[in-house]
Amino acid sequence: MTLSPLNILLFGVVLLLAVGFYGLLITRNLIKIVLVLQILVKAAMLALVLAGKASGNLGLGQSVAATVIVADTIVAVVALALAVQVRRRTGTLDVAKISTLRG
Amino acid sequence: MTGILVGLVIGIPWLGAVVLWQTRDEHPRLQHGLAVGFSILAGLASLALIPFSSAATVINLPMGRFFGNLTFIADGLAVTLSAIACVIGSLAVIFSVDYMRGEEQLNRYYAFVLLFIGAMAGLVLSGNLLFMFLFWEITALCSYALISFYNDDPRAVAGGIKALIITQVGGVGLLAGALTTYATLGSYQVSDLLSKAETMPTGILGLVAFGFLLAAAAKSAQFPFHTWLPDAMEAPTPISALIHAATMVNAGVYLLARFYPAFEHVPGWTLSVTLVGLISALITAFMALIATDLKRALAYSTVSQLGYMVYAIGVGGVFASQFHLLSHAVFKALLFLAAGAVIHTAGTRDMRRMGALGKQMPFVCNVFILGALALAGLPILNGFWSKELILESGLSEGPWWAYAGMVLVAGMTAFYTFRMTWLVFFGEARESLHVHDAGNAMKISLGLLALGTLTTWLLVTPFNSLLQSTLPFHAIQSLNLSELAVEIFTAPATYAALAMIAAGLGIFWMVRKQASGRSAAWMDALSRESFGFDWLNQRISNWTLGLGSVLQKTQTGILSWNVVGILGALLMILIFLVWSVR
Repeated sequence: MTLSPLNILLFGVVLLLAVGFYGLLITRNLIKIVLVLQILVKAAMLALVLAGKASGNLGLGQSVAATVIVADTIVAVVALALAVQVRRRTGTLDVAKISTLRG
Repeated sequence: MTGILVGLVIGIPWLGAVVLWQTRDEHPRLQHGLAVGFSILAGLASLALIPFSSAATVINLPMGRFFGNLTFIADGLAVTLSAIACVIGSLAVIFSVDYMRGEEQLNRYYAFVLLFIGAMAGLVLSGNLLFMFLFWEITALCSYALISFYNDDPRAVAGGIKALIITQVGGVGLLAGALTTYATLGSYQVSDLLSKAETMPTGILGLVAFGFLLAAAAKSAQFPFHTWLPDAMEAPTPISALIHAATMVNAGVYLLARFYPAFEHVPGWTLSVTLVGLISALITAFMALIATDLKRALAYSTVSQLGYMVYAIGVGGVFASQFHLLSHAVFKALLFLAAGAVIHTAGTRDMRRMGALGKQMPFVCNVFILGALALAGLPILNGFWSKELILESGLSEGPWWAYAGMVLVAGMTAFYTFRMTWLVFFGEARESLHVHDAGNAMKISLGLLALGTLTTWLLVTPFNSLLQSTLPFHAIQSLNLSELAVEIFTAPATYAALAMIAAGLGIFWMVRKQASGRSAAWMDALSRESFGFDWLNQRISNWTLGLGSVLQKTQTGILSWNVVGILGALLMILIFLVWSVR
């Protein structure tokens, strides 16, 4: 496997994905979950740009990635706002504890 | 002109459904009036369509690449069935004016009745398999909504859901057949399937043929799907008449008749159709022998008569089956509506509590006897001609054992029909029920249907030439009234069947005391469980629920487990990709 720019980028995508999934597996803090979800989305964005470059359609890949940035920012803002509300109402950010508070 | 009429036949009832849906319970007269008006207009439009029938496509709307063109073909088969749906449907609506008087939510009732009639007309007129499937599902939806009309009665709701689920199984068969046709021929047009069936590979054509057989059996409540129709009896009685005579169950027989030329050379198909018809006719006639619920006994007789039609298609008598469909639609609507008049005033459906009602309601008694004679197949009522025609084509084309079975069913039919009539209208009064004769609106529809029962067999000549001239693929033999009479009265099959019917009557007369009340325990148990098919239905639904509750455990709602699932799926995809690339 040669170290062409595309391969380096691909390596980056896999690395970011691995970090994200690992984070999701071990994290129980709500804010940290939002953070690792952001990392996962960044991996997806990078993959979009990469796919655009590889298929000779870089403009398309970049524009889709830009759209994802906008949507993803909104998701992050709403999720963090929810996390603040959850902390205020239940006194905890631990997802395992929150999920037992059904009702 | 033909195009406009086709549009009217489907459009008027649907427009009526939309209008009726908007009406309020405060104006029941308006609701009844609008429903009767729209349904009669639809009936007139469907009758006006008959002279314009031809094999040509009358409406052709491009619908894009994926659906094919939306076409309507008003050939003989289609105009007859749409006329049956609209005319008998309108008679059921007229009957409802008396039957449903004082009920609440009539807007829902009439809107679904009209939607049902329009969908049935669309189903038979449609020349595009995908849109046929669409109309097919709309009729299933309407039957569900109307069977469960009394939605505070759990049995009505259960009956409706059962009908919906079982006919959905058939719908899957129709959809699979339609999609397979498209994948092979690149077209959804019915005419393409009929004309190019020989070019399809045998296996593919067999898939389509048996898919359509599955659909027809589920819709027409044939073996092994015969369990839903008796449970559909919780519906208001005009709805039962509508489902049994005008719409719903005819769709299955129509489907088989429509595609018979394409499938007749598929190995095993005609034999399967014959067997389905024979088994359904036999076991439901048996269940009708001991039913104590008036509407259930009629429901079993419907399945049994539909078995005759399916059997006729299996032995190649497409015309005989359609002729019996016409006769059956008329006399079964008559029987159901007369039974509805009895139930409406007696307040019970249990025949053991009735008896000697004939003196108190002479009009209903007389028309019921007419319908019963036609159902039993006695001359000269319409049921006699069409049933003998079926038996004759069965004798000349089909296997002898199937013929023997069907003749036996004719005898059983005579037995249970006369048992029914005897229990309700004659004998001694087992309970003092205060009943009165039918109202005026009921009398209009009952009178017209009784007239039809006496006379529709006279239509055999125009009906035959209509089908013959507009169905290019079906190879229907010409037959006119005098030929029919000669053929029927000189055939030994007729006398065999008549002897069997007489035997059924004689046996009934001898055992009429025992037959009225209790029956042997094993017969009771067999028929209550629909020969074990209710048990099978229950098992299948229990298995499905059990599988669901097992799989439910995998839905923990814990984030970490979900991530493990995602990673596992990714890993499997990766392994598959690596393995397939190599």
